[in-house]
Amino acid sequence: MTFHRDTLCPFCGLGCGDIGIDLDPSGIAARPSGCPQADRLFQRSMAVPTDARLGGAAIPMDDAIAEAVRLLESSRAPLIAGLAADVEGVLTALSLAERIGATVDHERSEGLFRNLAVLRRFGWSVTTLAELRNRCDLVLVVGPDPAQGFPRLWERWVVPEPAFVAGNGRSVVFLGGEPLPETVRWLGARIETSGLDTDTQTDLATLVGRLRTALAGRLAADDPMAALAARLRSARYAVVVWAAGLFDGPQPDLIVEGLVRLIRTVDGITRCAGLPLSGADNLVGANQACSWRTGFPLRTGFDGGGPLHDPDRFDWHRRLRDADVTLWISAFRPETPALATGGSVIMLAPPETIVAPEPALFIPVGTPGIDHPGDVFRADNVVALHAGALIDRGLPSVAEVIGRILAALSQNAKTREAAGC
Amino acid sequence: MLTKLAGGRLFDPANGRYGEAADLWLHDDRIAADPGPGATPDAVHDVTGKVVMAGAIDIHSHIAGGKVNLARLLMGEEHERHRFAGHACGNDRVGSDRIGGGSGIATPSTHSTGARYIEMGFTAAFEPAMLGSNARHAHLEMSDIPYIDTGGYLVLGNDDFLLDLIASNAGQAAVNDYVAWMLTATQSLAVKVVNPGGINAFKFNARSLDLDEAGPYYGVTPRTVLTVLARAVYELGLPHPLHVHGCNLGVPGNVATTLDTIQAASGLPMHMTHIQFHSYDTAGDRKFSSGAAALAEAVNRTPTLSVDIGQVMFGQTVTASADTMAQRHTAPLAHPRKWLAMDIECDAGCGVVPFRYRDNSYVNALQWAIGLELFLLLDDPWRVFLTTDHPNGAPFTFYPELIRLLMDRDYRLAKLAEIHPDAPAHTTLGSIAREYTLAEIAIMTRAAPARILGLTDRGHLAPGASADVTVYSDLADRRAMFERPDLVFKSGRLVVRDGTLVATAQGCTHVVRPGFDELIERRIARHFDERIGLPIKHFRIQDAEIRHGAGPQLHPCQRREVP
Repeated sequence: MTFHRDTLCPFCGLGCGDIGIDLDPSGIAARPSGCPQADRLFQRSMAVPTDARLGGAAIPMDDAIAEAVRLLESSRAPLIAGLAADVEGVLTALSLAERIGATVDHERSEGLFRNLAVLRRFGWSVTTLAELRNRCDLVLVVGPDPAQGFPRLWERWVVPEPAFVAGNGRSVVFLGGEPLPETVRWLGARIETSGLDTDTQTDLATLVGRLRTALAGRLAADDPMAALAARLRSARYAVVVWAAGLFDGPQPDLIVEGLVRLIRTVDGITRCAGLPLSGADNLVGANQACSWRTGFPLRTGFDGGGPLHDPDRFDWHRRLRDADVTLWISAFRPETPALATGGSVIMLAPPETIVAPEPALFIPVGTPGIDHPGDVFRADNVVALHAGALIDRGLPSVAEVIGRILAALSQNAKTREAAGC
Repeated sequence: MLTKLAGGRLFDPANGRYGEAADLWLHDDRIAADPGPGATPDAVHDVTGKVVMAGAIDIHSHIAGGKVNLARLLMGEEHERHRFAGHACGNDRVGSDRIGGGSGIATPSTHSTGARYIEMGFTAAFEPAMLGSNARHAHLEMSDIPYIDTGGYLVLGNDDFLLDLIASNAGQAAVNDYVAWMLTATQSLAVKVVNPGGINAFKFNARSLDLDEAGPYYGVTPRTVLTVLARAVYELGLPHPLHVHGCNLGVPGNVATTLDTIQAASGLPMHMTHIQFHSYDTAGDRKFSSGAAALAEAVNRTPTLSVDIGQVMFGQTVTASADTMAQRHTAPLAHPRKWLAMDIECDAGCGVVPFRYRDNSYVNALQWAIGLELFLLLDDPWRVFLTTDHPNGAPFTFYPELIRLLMDRDYRLAKLAEIHPDAPAHTTLGSIAREYTLAEIAIMTRAAPARILGLTDRGHLAPGASADVTVYSDLADRRAMFERPDLVFKSGRLVVRDGTLVATAQGCTHVVRPGFDELIERRIARHFDERIGLPIKHFRIQDAEIRHGAGPQLHPCQRREVP
């Protein structure tokens, strides 16, 4: 048995670099890390079927590549989605999308686009995890507890004593959501009650609107919201944390816009910044890579004139309905959502994945940070991390599989050219 | 592969050639000596009478990294208006055989960035503001830019670790070790300081910080940060002097601070960047005038100093900077009216503010004139570099127009007559007769940048140099000439013919790696564990991560002592 200390976890987007991994001939497992995601997703067996499958039957890899090429070449409306891969995998997928005229989107981009909509029309004032940890004396959590998606958020970034805050450490206020029991356990007395109705059923947009009204000085002084506004004004460095993917209700981007405006108001008086969290399975890396390669965020396609972005039309949920071929990429976790499409599905996923119904073509791939090294971005948008390899199960990376598809497409194009057709 | 460029006029100032006719030989990826009679070149290009220069080098252009990518997202309207289809040309690397597609002008996507540069005959551009915490991202992005060489300047001087070293009197040797460790860990080429201490002060809610003002928390002045870093860079023997983005960017009257900053260096080499934004005086009714003459005079008599201009050109662009403090002052002027700001990782920050420079605005017109004034008043083309601080003053695609303004006085005066009528009175531009020569352009865009960055095999045409070569037709319209070279070779391969991409190529990433005492790593590791929340090993960028395993190109450092 071998022990790998300080292994980087590529899954939720917090980029924890302290996971302990036990390795033996049967596979790997995480030492209990306090994170249910890491504990579950680092559990991988050496004994997995590594065959590709066509209609459920095992086929050689060469045949699988040829079949993928055949499907993608004949497609008139291809979709590349899931897009859960390391940066290299995403870039290769973008090259393929440009080549065949596909649109791209990440499985978990919904929350990201609520934030991006505001960034693109209004702007952002945000911060990163190490600033939260060291500088922040007041955390305002808006909406459902982000620990649902980012299990060690509080333990790693708020429980440590801030380096630059003198006196009584820091407080955490929940607005429009309740802390999870685990969160209460971690934060303890740091949780400050706002005296506000924190029922999760409360309309968030209204709460944020009232807080902005209070900041403008237009609420009675004895209103608990006025007290919260005063608390924000008197903080040294307040951080407003939200996970937009967890917002309910219509037009959640308007809640985000309200928050950014609120942050700007407070930031004019003292320091205040947002921390919009979204980013499991390298969502942020996929968006970064798509932005630098195309100039646009995810939900971008390619026509004869170059890349074309449409945050509504190119949402994968919508595109899935009219796509005749879908290349679904899910390298991080052996699970996929039900894909409601009348077209064919080519799936690139870990071999443990249980898929129902069986896709037209299944190609097993390794997981970045387990089977091969790969770059992933943290949820705060700035820090990219290089996850290493732990085991060799003979599984190709997403970049390798798509690279082979691209090479075969080039070869076919040349052959056709030579034949003059 | 042996290529002969026959009969061109070589402008190769590094080797003392200023336009004499000579053949140039390329053997594989290098310039070669004339192989003598009997050699049978695989390709011969008749370039008789044409101007032959090394590939141009842009020493300061924001082309990659977090703030650039955020700027792309903020500039969505521009990207929708300017979309580019990829060219199918060659297939070097699987997946990258379609080149140049993408979108954007002020914040072009990676392939478009490489395509626009190489189409103008530039074969290298350096990202001048790489944050340590964002370095891996910047490298990933740089390796996706085809054609050109790249490298990053590491931003230091607002990081809590360095300020703590200074405040706790850890000593110059510890600072040097830290700087060297960081350069190595982040695979950087040079060190840049941005608003020394000011970005950090802003995190403690200070909204301005003067050169001799003690910052909050650490009580360290910008002058101290500046001199400590300039000394570290000098003693470590980095080829490139400390790259300085000074205090008070954009503030009327800041030329006084800039002159003080020159004094602060007290003889240590320093490169002052985008000095146009730091050359403002307060004369006149509007309390905004040119300080270019005084600054140029100071630079001219300080041989240890080099500068780049950060020329403003009229039109829509976006300003992207680590200087959150300055960007917060600019934000109300955003056009379109949106902006973003970030505090980053106890390291630095970033601010992105879209901006439209208008020739009928007094301030913008004067900024344009001040930049040109500086170019023309600075005597030594070896110490002044052609930049627009892309995209902050203008997109880099304005370089050909800028070169025409420098080389063509009549054209310049005609343009001066078109700007806000009150602006000319507050600059000396109208009275300057100087026109840059082709030799001076070759120095400023080739020989000098290579020299100031320590790239010994770039920026010139002697045997052994990288075969990065640009061939222009000698047109009277210098803009047309520099916009569309006849031929561009990257590493010996013909990649552009008559302004069109004909093949792909990949550049390399340049880095330095001065040694350090490993003891410093313990202190840094503790900082990473206790503050940054990341084991140090995950921060360090390995060679195999650079350019898909190709690794970086290393440049030597020569340790020296301050006299």
